[in-house]
Parts: sequence; structure tokens; C-alpha cells
Amino acid sequence: MKKECVAMLLAGGQGSRLYALTSHVAKPAVPFGGKYRIIDFPLSNCVNSGIDTVGVLTQYRPLELNSYLGNGQPWDLDRSDGGVHILPPYMREGEQGTWYKGTANAIYQNIGFIELYDPDYVVILSGDHIYKMDYAAMLAHHKKEEAACTISVLEVTLEEATRFGIMNVDENDTVYEFEEKPAHPKSNLASMGIYVFTWSKLREYLIADEANPDSSNDFGKNIIPSMLANGEKLSAYRFSGYWKDVGTIASLWDANMDMLYPGGEKGIDLYDTEWPIYARTPIRPPHVTGPEAEISHSLVTGGCEVNGVVENSVLFHSVTVERGAVVRYSILMPGTVVKAGAVVEYSIVAENAYIGPNARVGAPPDGTEGWGIAVVAGNVEVAENGLVAPNAMCTEPVRGGDQ
Amino acid sequence: MNNLHGIIFAYRATPDLRELTTLRTISSLPYGGRYRIIDFALSNMVNAGVTDIGVIMHENYQSLLDHLGSGKDWDLSRKHGGLRILPPFTYAHKQRQRGFRGKMEAMDGVLTYLQSIRQEYVVLSDADIAVNIDLRGALNDHIASGADITAICTSHPIGDPRQCTYFTVDSTGLVNEVIESPATPMGYESLDIYILSKERLLSLVEHCATHNLYSFSTDVLIGMREHLKIHPYLHDGYTARLQTVNSYFTCSMDLLKPEVRSALFSPSRPIRTKDRSDPSTYYAPGSKSVNSLVADGCIIEGEVENSILFRGVHVAKGAVVKNCILMQSAVIGEGAETRYVIADKNVEVHTHRTLMGYASYPLVIAKNSVV
Repeated sequence: MKKECVAMLLAGGQGSRLYALTSHVAKPAVPFGGKYRIIDFPLSNCVNSGIDTVGVLTQYRPLELNSYLGNGQPWDLDRSDGGVHILPPYMREGEQGTWYKGTANAIYQNIGFIELYDPDYVVILSGDHIYKMDYAAMLAHHKKEEAACTISVLEVTLEEATRFGIMNVDENDTVYEFEEKPAHPKSNLASMGIYVFTWSKLREYLIADEANPDSSNDFGKNIIPSMLANGEKLSAYRFSGYWKDVGTIASLWDANMDMLYPGGEKGIDLYDTEWPIYARTPIRPPHVTGPEAEISHSLVTGGCEVNGVVENSVLFHSVTVERGAVVRYSILMPGTVVKAGAVVEYSIVAENAYIGPNARVGAPPDGTEGWGIAVVAGNVEVAENGLVAPNAMCTEPVRGGDQ
Repeated sequence: MNNLHGIIFAYRATPDLRELTTLRTISSLPYGGRYRIIDFALSNMVNAGVTDIGVIMHENYQSLLDHLGSGKDWDLSRKHGGLRILPPFTYAHKQRQRGFRGKMEAMDGVLTYLQSIRQEYVVLSDADIAVNIDLRGALNDHIASGADITAICTSHPIGDPRQCTYFTVDSTGLVNEVIESPATPMGYESLDIYILSKERLLSLVEHCATHNLYSFSTDVLIGMREHLKIHPYLHDGYTARLQTVNSYFTCSMDLLKPEVRSALFSPSRPIRTKDRSDPSTYYAPGSKSVNSLVADGCIIEGEVENSILFRGVHVAKGAVVKNCILMQSAVIGEGAETRYVIADKNVEVHTHRTLMGYASYPLVIAKNSVV
């Protein structure tokens, strides 16, 4: 059946700057904000914006992401027509299979999928941003401007602008120039990696781009510049809410900390019933606070048992913090156990890790160059009295008293 | 594998639960921070591989229907079988304006449904207890014993004897006497969960219908005991029987004990419930929460002690909540104080109000009330 708009979510990225956190899962499947995974944000935005057909392009470590998405039911995307579709690279007759060569190539390879729905517009999203956004409003802007492509942009400081793709626009917010990480930015409008395309136009450019052997088949590097070069109308859509790229350990930690404001003063209001963020949640009983529990400015999720000190932290489901243990400014992913007397500070502890009695993981910032968030990878055991230094990336068991 | 069918009787009114059951039957009574009592019966069945479950209801079932939906949260939304809602007027010619007099009458009302059951065995269950039970083990035991009816019961009486059925057994382990509503408990106390074959069930329903009999315990277990081989299957794990406000309160507080939680919420037999997609619970700076069971989606700014908080509860700054049960979306305003209070869904206690019950008489605040 025809759909006015189909969303394509690029979820194939390896997320190599998250190191140990993405050694087993694709970046969009990384747990976030106590109950979610990163991909829940763009997926929930789609559903809340009235988009019911979403293609999720996967290629790196897709197993966990695939089973997480399943039939799309937690997002109400289990539809008889449309719904969520996982789109891995595949082979065609007479050709050797290839991975998705770039973001544009990933969409090119799935032209067939998009045409099943004969859409007028296609929204391109990525699976590594935390934000709430009404894509329907962006689409309305796109239609009003009669643009070939609308790029959603965020105002950043000129200093930050050097790290983004920057859109230089005229007084009508029509883009006349696109600069990737400019040393001397002319504007402060950073691309958020969210695009609305008129499908017939995009299709044309994807085919042309694929025919060009020198192209790196990327939206930012190839498609947008060639559309600009050909005089297509590109419009900037200004977004003003919270938006965070969580591609690095520091930004992932930061964004989690931003969720510690239930009214959304700093981050996103996760309690907003008008724009809920949906997630597939495991079956767990409510969490328990023990007689010695001291919890402050923290998120705690079902199945947790807290009997120690938890401050400024995000606890995912089924985390245990024993009596006398201290957790500060940390993110404890599902199933983490922090034994009695252990101290975990400024750390990200991944799924089912074990922090032994009196172990120390991470430390508060000390102003030195080498300081950073400590990371303990999934299923890693830090033995009794074990030490994990700040900025350490711990993927192997830590014996008592070393590292 | 799936040779067991489930039937849940969800129509029972329990006057001793006062305001908690004026707008709902006990089957949809909230319990344990995020569950409804019927979740235990449903989950026990689903965890035993049951795929087809009929839920018989009579009145006050709006809240139950809302909770069950299509049954997808229990994996019971199926093309074939799955959850079947059986409201009272399933068959117009058998309309009964006043409630069912008993389970046999209730089942006669859905006779064609019973006839269509695909499985060889049927488990009949009330929805008024919280228990995590291995029904697969009970079924195997039923088959091995060659009994006509297997009665799941406990050797530690837990309920109000006037509202329970008891069994005494002979030297071979079979039931030799069935006692209903005695003054004091005797023998094994029935958990009101029974397993029997579909064939036996149909013949019993027919017998009762043609003899104007309606009660399973009085007319079948007691009345036909001499003709039936009744085998007890003991379940001595933790069981919460919620017959009065006081038992509801104590059984809720039992959940603060780790051994009770691990008996009810075994990871290998999870209790499933309706998913609400709540975020995690947020504890504000200066809040305090000790010895409590807190569901997702709460915002805690005040002090919580020895309490059970359901999903979406808000305890504002300076509020003190001790020995309380606060159901879904209850709001305790700034500086308010509540002790021994059972606040039903959406109850709002305004700032600086003080509400105190006592351990032996917890104060129940009815659904949607504003104090």
C-alpha cells in the first residue's frame, strides 16, 4: 500500500569510538537512560510522528539489535502493512555480495524496499542520537518550502561548529553551501544527520552516485554536495530541543547524566506522556531499596536491589548494589553487581559485569590530562580489591589489586 | 507438550476488601508494585506451556478487560487459541442477571467453549491468590496419580477458614474428606486450583446442570467425593491469599522480605503483566527510600520507608510515606505525611495533609480520591 512517508534508519555503524561497549553489539543497541537503547529514540519519534513504516539498515553485529527489534511490537510497529523491517545487505544474482559501502549506498541497496510503499518522501535517520523530534513538523516544513531535501539543523556555538557539518543558509534558511568541519565556520547551523528527501529526487541522486566509482557513497560527503551543485533546493529546518550525539564514551556518559532531570530541565523529559519513548523491557519485578540504601539524584530500574550509596547515577534493570558499596556519577548497565565495600565513580559498567568486594573503579576528575570515564566491558569480573583506573577500558578480568 | 488448558474464574466479589474492590473484582486488584492478582494465575499457566486460556467474568470487569487487552503481554494474542474473554452474556438464552452461584454454573454458561477445548487436561483456577507454582509438575503428578481431580493445596493454612476449603487425606494419600468453611483450619487448605481431564470436566458440568447444582466445592468435591478420586498436590511455597484488607496489607508487606520475593518472582518462572513503557524511577537529591519495593516510573523527592510503590507514583518534597501501599499514579503532595495507608490508583493527597491508619487497620483511600 502507498505510504506518504517512509523512514530509513541507519543502524549499521560499528561505533568504534565506544570501544568495549560495542564489541558485541551495534551502537544503536547500546543501553541508554536506564530503560532504553539508543535506537528507541528515533524509533519512538517515528511512531509519535505518525510514521508507521521504518526500515532499519543493519550490518555490524546485528544479532542483538535484531532480537531487540523483533516484530516491532514495543513501538506499536507490528503492522499488517508497513511496520519495522530489518534490512541487512544482501546478494543479488550475478554479483558478489558487498557490505553497505556508505550511508547513501545503504539506501541505494534498498531502493526496492522503499518502492514497495511508493512513498512521496523518505526520512533518513541515524541510530546514534538522543533527542525527541516531531518528524511530521519537519515534513510539513519540507512540503511548504517545496525543497528536494530538508536538513534538520541545530544552533551550536561557533567553537563547536568546527566539529560538525555546517549549513550556510540565506535569509529563508535555504542552504547555499555545506561545509564539513570548517576551520572558520560562517554559520552556526550544524547538521543533525536527519534528512527529509522528496523520494523521486533522492532516487535519482542515489542512482547517479552509485554510478560514480569515485564516490564514497555518503550522504554528507556526496549526495548533499551534488544536490547543491545541481541547484536543487535544500532547506534547513531549525530544531531547538535537546539533541546529543552519543558516539563517544564521554558523550554517552554526559547524555546519560542529562537524563537525571525528570522535568527535562537538562535533557529529555522521559516522563512526558505526550511523547513517550518506548522500549522492549524485560520482565522484572519492581526494584528494592534495602535498609541501608541512600539514593540521590539517580535513576533506578526494575529488578534492582540497592542497599548501598547511589548518587548521580543511572542504574539499568537487575543491578545489585550491596550494603556499604558506593556508586557515584556512574552508569551501571543491566545485571551489574557491585559487591559490598566497592566504590564505583565516574564509570560506565556494561552488562552483567561483576565488581568484587572493596574493588575501586574509576575516580573523580583530578584535572590531569589522562583522566577520563572508566569503562568495564560486559561480563568482566573485577576481583576483590581490584583496581580500575580512571580512563581505563577494561575488557579482561581484573585480578585483586592490579590494573 | 501443550496438553493443558486454562480456565480462570475472575468474577469473585470479596466484600472484605472494602473500597479496593468496589470498582473491580479481586482478579484485577493491584499487588506487588506492578501486578494484578490475575497475573499470577495467567503467568503460572503460561510458564507451564499453556497456550489457551479462558477467563470467565461477570461484573465489574472493565478494569480487568483494560488490563488483559488482547493478551499480548502474556504471549496469549494468538491466531489459534490464546486468550479468550468469557463475559456473562456469552449465550443469551443462559443469561443470568445476578452473579454466578458457583463455578459449575459459570462453566455451564460457556459450555460450547468448554466443548471446543483442544487440550486433554484443564486447570481451573481462581484469581485471588499470588503464588508462583509449577503447574507442569502438578499436571505430571495428576497424570501419574491416575486421580480424577488433583487439588492444589498447602499444608500451612493461610486463609480465613470461613472462606476456604480443606482436605484431609487417608493413608494412601488420597482425599477422604472435604470440608468447606470450618471454624478452624483442618488438614490441607485448597488453593482453589484444580486439574482434571476435559472429559471429566464436561461430564461434571453436565451432571450439575441437569441436577440444578452449581458449586464446585459443595456439589462436586463434597457432593460427589465418594465417586471421585481426589488427589492433593502440595505447594508449600509462599502464597498470598488476599481475602481482607488486613491480609492484603500484610501479604503486600511480606514482599519486603527477600525470601518471599524470590519465591514469587523466580526468574525461571517470571510473572508477566501489562507493559506500560514507564521510564526508570527518579530519586531526587534529598530523597530517602529504605526497605521499600518501588516500581518504574516513580518520582521520589520525599521520604519512603517500608512501603510498596506502584508505577508512576509521585512523592513530593518533604512528604513522608511510611508503611504504605501507593498504587499506580498516586500523588503525595509536598510535606504530606501518610502512614499505614493503602492509596488506590490516582489518589491525590494534597500538601501538608496527614493520613494515618494503623497496622491492624490500614486506611484505604478509594480510587481517584483527592484528599
